[in-house]
Amino acid sequence: MVTKIDKTLDCKGLSCPMPMMKLAKTMKGMNSGEVLEMLGTDPGTKSDIPGWCEKSGNTLLEQNDLEGGVNRFVLKKK
Amino acid sequence: MKLNRNNIKDNIMENKKMTMALFSGSIDKLTGAGVVLSGAAADDMDVDVYVLLMGARAFIKVNENKIDGLSEYPELKDEFLKSLETLNVSTWIEFFEMAKELTNVKIHICSLAGKMWGGEKMEDFIDLADDICGIGEYITSAQEADVHLFI
Repeated sequence: MVTKIDKTLDCKGLSCPMPMMKLAKTMKGMNSGEVLEMLGTDPGTKSDIPGWCEKSGNTLLEQNDLEGGVNRFVLKKK
Repeated sequence: MKLNRNNIKDNIMENKKMTMALFSGSIDKLTGAGVVLSGAAADDMDVDVYVLLMGARAFIKVNENKIDGLSEYPELKDEFLKSLETLNVSTWIEFFEMAKELTNVKIHICSLAGKMWGGEKMEDFIDLADDICGIGEYITSAQEADVHLFI
């Protein structure tokens, strides 16, 4: 089953801490249960995003590596 | 009230607090402080920043755009600034502004530090500053904080 994506946040090319800042801001503006797809290339996001989900109580549904060093995350807002 | 695991987690999150003593007024340390502040803001922490001696110089209105010295390896200034530009890194002021937008960040200027650089009233400082305070408030804030930094 393919997860329905409500919004995509493209953070490719951005350096730490901008992906985290944009993620936190975007998630604040979303409704409970909505799903965000986030794309990033900063190596810090690989550990930061799962950690952020745990601390903030949001759910990390998927995490995978795409071509060109792009990390993809799918998060569900709590 | 019935507490479930999620409620407890929420309560823990809401209570997290960071206190930062920002003693430094050079662009390398201000940028570092901005990055740390951004991380705390992304985690929805409450942050108190106490701007001490050298730091206060950077928060005086008339000094805007005059803050460009490095605390460490001053001879590498050009390389440092060029790297920031190449990587499209925000300025320290932008980091502070974004953090304030995202969460509860308060910038307190130490009264003595302000006076050292000619700042006695709120209008002498850039808009980021929230108030002027004494050192006792910093100590109290540091005692209550989960994370305490001196930069």
